[in-house]
Amino acid sequence: MKISGTYYLPLPPERAYQLLQDPEVLAKAMPGCERLEKIAENEYRMKMKVVLASLAGNFDTRVRIADQTVPSSFRLLVEGSGRPGFLQGDGLLKLAPSGAGTEVSFNGDVQVGGTMAAVGQRLLDGTAKRLIKKFFESLSQAASAATA
Amino acid sequence: MATTITKVETLVGKRVRRREDPRLITGTATYVEDVQIPGMHYAAVVRSPRAAANIRSINTKAASEAPGVVAVFTGKDTENVGPVPCGASLPGLRVPHHHILATKRVYFVGHPVAVVIARDRYLAQDAADLVEVDYDVVPAVTEPERALSQGAPAVHPQWPDNIAFTYHQDGGDVDKAFAEAEVVVKQRIISQRLIPTAMETRGVVAEWRAADRQLNIYTSTQIPHLVRTLVAGMLALEENRVRVITPEVGGGFGSKLNVYAEEALMGFVAQQINRPVKWIESRRENFLCTIHGRGHVDYYELAAKRDGTILGIKLKIIQDLGAYHQLLTPLIPTLSVLMMPGIYNTPNVRADIVGVFTNCVPTDAYRGAGRPEATHGIERMVDILADELNLDPAEVRLKNFVPKDKFPFATATGLTYDSGDYAAPLKKALDMVGYHKLRQEQADLRKQGKWLGIGISTYGEICAIGPSPATPAGGWESATVKIEPSGKVTVMTGTCPHGQGEETSFAQIVADELGVDIDDVLVIRGDTAIVQYGIGTFGSRATAIGGTALYFALQDLKAKIKKFAAMFLESEEVTFSGGKVISNSNGQSKSLCELAAASYRALQLPPNTEPGLVATRFWEPPNFTFPFGAHIVVTEIDGQTGEVKIRRYVAVDDCGNIINPMLVDGQVHGGVAQGLGQALWEQAVYDENGQLVTGELMDYAVPKAHMMPWIESDHTITPSPVNPLGVKGVGEAGTIGCSPAVVNSVVDALSPLGVRHIDMPLTPEKIWKFMAGSRS
Amino acid sequence: MIPQKFEYTVPKNLDDALRLLASGAKPLAGGMSLIPMMKLRLATPERLVDLAKLKDLNYIRESGSDLRVGATTTHYDVENSALLLRRCPLLAETAAAIGDLQVRNMGTIGGSVAHADPAADYPAALQALEAKLALRSGKSERTVTAKDFFEDAFTTALSPEEIVLEIIVPTEDTATGTVYEKVVQPASGFAIVGIAVRIRRSAGKIGFARIGVTGIANCSYRATAAEAALEGKAGSDADIQAAAALVTTGVDANSDLHASAVYRRHLATVHAARAITAALSRCA
Repeated sequence: MKISGTYYLPLPPERAYQLLQDPEVLAKAMPGCERLEKIAENEYRMKMKVVLASLAGNFDTRVRIADQTVPSSFRLLVEGSGRPGFLQGDGLLKLAPSGAGTEVSFNGDVQVGGTMAAVGQRLLDGTAKRLIKKFFESLSQAASAATA
Repeated sequence: MATTITKVETLVGKRVRRREDPRLITGTATYVEDVQIPGMHYAAVVRSPRAAANIRSINTKAASEAPGVVAVFTGKDTENVGPVPCGASLPGLRVPHHHILATKRVYFVGHPVAVVIARDRYLAQDAADLVEVDYDVVPAVTEPERALSQGAPAVHPQWPDNIAFTYHQDGGDVDKAFAEAEVVVKQRIISQRLIPTAMETRGVVAEWRAADRQLNIYTSTQIPHLVRTLVAGMLALEENRVRVITPEVGGGFGSKLNVYAEEALMGFVAQQINRPVKWIESRRENFLCTIHGRGHVDYYELAAKRDGTILGIKLKIIQDLGAYHQLLTPLIPTLSVLMMPGIYNTPNVRADIVGVFTNCVPTDAYRGAGRPEATHGIERMVDILADELNLDPAEVRLKNFVPKDKFPFATATGLTYDSGDYAAPLKKALDMVGYHKLRQEQADLRKQGKWLGIGISTYGEICAIGPSPATPAGGWESATVKIEPSGKVTVMTGTCPHGQGEETSFAQIVADELGVDIDDVLVIRGDTAIVQYGIGTFGSRATAIGGTALYFALQDLKAKIKKFAAMFLESEEVTFSGGKVISNSNGQSKSLCELAAASYRALQLPPNTEPGLVATRFWEPPNFTFPFGAHIVVTEIDGQTGEVKIRRYVAVDDCGNIINPMLVDGQVHGGVAQGLGQALWEQAVYDENGQLVTGELMDYAVPKAHMMPWIESDHTITPSPVNPLGVKGVGEAGTIGCSPAVVNSVVDALSPLGVRHIDMPLTPEKIWKFMAGSRS
Repeated sequence: MIPQKFEYTVPKNLDDALRLLASGAKPLAGGMSLIPMMKLRLATPERLVDLAKLKDLNYIRESGSDLRVGATTTHYDVENSALLLRRCPLLAETAAAIGDLQVRNMGTIGGSVAHADPAADYPAALQALEAKLALRSGKSERTVTAKDFFEDAFTTALSPEEIVLEIIVPTEDTATGTVYEKVVQPASGFAIVGIAVRIRRSAGKIGFARIGVTGIANCSYRATAAEAALEGKAGSDADIQAAAALVTTGVDANSDLHASAVYRRHLATVHAARAITAALSRCA
């Protein structure tokens, strides 16, 4: 499934770039993330809890940041598995100055497997959009707090 | 003395109510899930969530220590159990070794990796969730043409081209035919992958009695004796100490014409844990790991004259086999080749098959097994030809039919069609639907911007499978008829009806032949300890072959009864009627009970005659049988949304003589339902990573009652010369005739837009895109 | 298809149920959505409290100019209620379109709206009706509008300890024409697109139009742009087409196996026009 979108962060690109790679900030922004633990340079393990109606799944997830071009782009790779199934996300994030802040655009691919893929087909598009929206909203809040 | 013998009404040909129904519809029948054996444990199978991966490790520690668990087995434990068998042999066929549990690698989502046994099914599932498998994921390929392309991932590393076999067949002189053709039409046609969706999923109960070296397997199957032979082989057990019992089966449609890993696996488990064990397939497992149907990408070329005479046909089939061969997987597309000319008088054909491995569950027989694909193809091509030449599609068909006086007819693919009158059902159907008025209405509606379509399919089908040299395991069928001392009759049939109704139709045959009350006749099947070896129920064969075996056994029995009758009535010239055996000359009679009792009491025996009344026959059919028919479908397309509505469905089917018209109706209705499913709603969809995204009935649209049109069903009767009953078989014909009629109808509706072909399923969005695309 | 172990309790009364919910039990009503999720082990509640057993919450009654439907009223009862058929036919017509007979016999209106499936039918009607929902917890009671209640896919304004007590819909003016039109996903029976229309016309002018939409996006919504385009118009075919073209304005349509976003939008436009036309023909 292809996903893409554009979000605005009220921080200049260099600051925004740092923020997007700050494990504390990512931990708060990732949906249902409970902990982010560094396992290698630019690689983190976390437990992600996704709740969707009565479906509640704990996902053992690995997050990796790659292909860094400070301050304009990087790749975010997410791999998670849990009882409801597994997911893999690979997204390219681009940062460009926009007024006083930064326009973050992303383009990526999300693969889902296991039980969720079998029964959740119609929800994937909508859920991906929601989770990404929440992710960026949370980042926005963190960004605003950072500038405050 | 002249006598009048009052003949009791005969039952063959009548709509006798099904004797299996009372228990089926009151929930008192026994299915595998109802089998309870003291000490029985439950199995939960752990399956791969990945389509292609190497297994790095499997950790079963937590699972084996979970509450209630008595054992956990993985591929290492079952390595030496024989592979899941493929019964089909083709020259050069590549056969991957199909372990019952994956050993080093998984090849499709759902591939069984481990099995957990616990004292109840809930604890078994809880523990199964604790099995940890470390997968090293590798790329998967799920689409057959992609699997054939340069650089595609190898499903089986040892065969990087993903080709399991190729097959070629020529008939006549197809190059000459194409060279002389005045017109050639070409089309790529897809018969999409389908999920058979029997209402009852699969299930197995296995019980091992160590002291007797006896293994009992209860399984929901269409072929109990073949399962016994093959599973005994897989487990290296003595075949005569393996018993397969088939209780009620809630539908098979070909998906249970197979030997599955779980059948041997449960036998293995029962031996290991020394307790009975039960495994019941969940619906999700059924979608993932029970065979799928169809899976063709077909390239057709038709050569013809401008007057519509078909000169030759070329067909290339790309068959999606899945990751392994199940029992008949590679054989199914060869059945398509056999029927590629349809019922047309065309001697020039060329067929090529490429069997392709994909990271999906295997395909195998599903209602029609290769013939729906072939009929869909040729019937679409005939319509495309008619469209190209601006000829009426009914006229093109009539012009090309094998004429009525040419039977038995040798086809270009090496078959001999037994009997046929192809024009008769078409003419009847055209009449029933009011064809010419409809064409006029269509023209009028087109002026109003409305879309009405009339689709015809005239099909022939090959069934009553079949002469043994042409089958992998033998194609004969067996029957034993016994009359007990009290006069009650028991039939043991080697077929395995699973909803078709032979418990009733066979009893009708017996009742008429022996002159007994139908309620005094019991028809048994499905227990290898009770019933003599049989082949099973599939390929629309049970009545044509099994019924014929029964018929001959009855003749043997009658001959013997006549001998006993002669002792009392002084003549073998007798009539069986009303429970009596009546002398034709003097009207004296003896009840069948008395004669039966006499045969067992044996106070006095006729010359050269043994006591008892039992007859067994194994009947080898000299040929297949070839039912045929015409379906006409009238559709209305919603011009704004692309939604297809069926206004009328007319089916005229010829299955030869009819034993029970109600059973035949049922087969036609059910067959059409599954044909409509393919045409309009169903498709098994795998994403590019091999995830089955149509994983539940929430996303896979099996037709429900409210979605069905009213089926106007009629028949012509052209008896088959192949068997004395004159019966042809009808179980699959409805499905075969249906899908091309529907697609032809919709394409016909849209022909003003220049639409030539649309692939199934004809979803509203697909039709809308065609309409929008054509208009723009 | 085997659920995890769970405890099941039948509450003595509403207060007992609320107390159990406050202590962490999850609510079960008709089970038509929850139980399949439990069988797939996608939902693993440890304790269930069966609200469907609260017969006190199964009612349909008039209350001033409103109609109140208790949360445990089944879809079957809503569909066949003489009172609703007379006074709020839109709700009855919508209930009749849900799932199939078995689902309608078991499913409850409270359970359905609390589940907030983006493809469920009621939300379209409740948005068009500008319905209100009474919510109750052990400690408090409040009323929210349908607009505020349905927040997102499977997300409502309910807090974990609250349940839906009753749904409050207006008694329909007899001059109003109403219709619920649905494109059914043939496998699941859910709405690919569901459009509820309420419309009133007098002296040749549409004076009132409400359009509720489900199935298109993550959440149901009122098509206010389309409504505005109808108000004051005569309701000619051209008026209807122009309004229907606005029915998905500003909405992020979803794509799935059964319909792409583009096709969903198109279906919404087509069926909105048909629904508006049908509703107008039902105007007194």
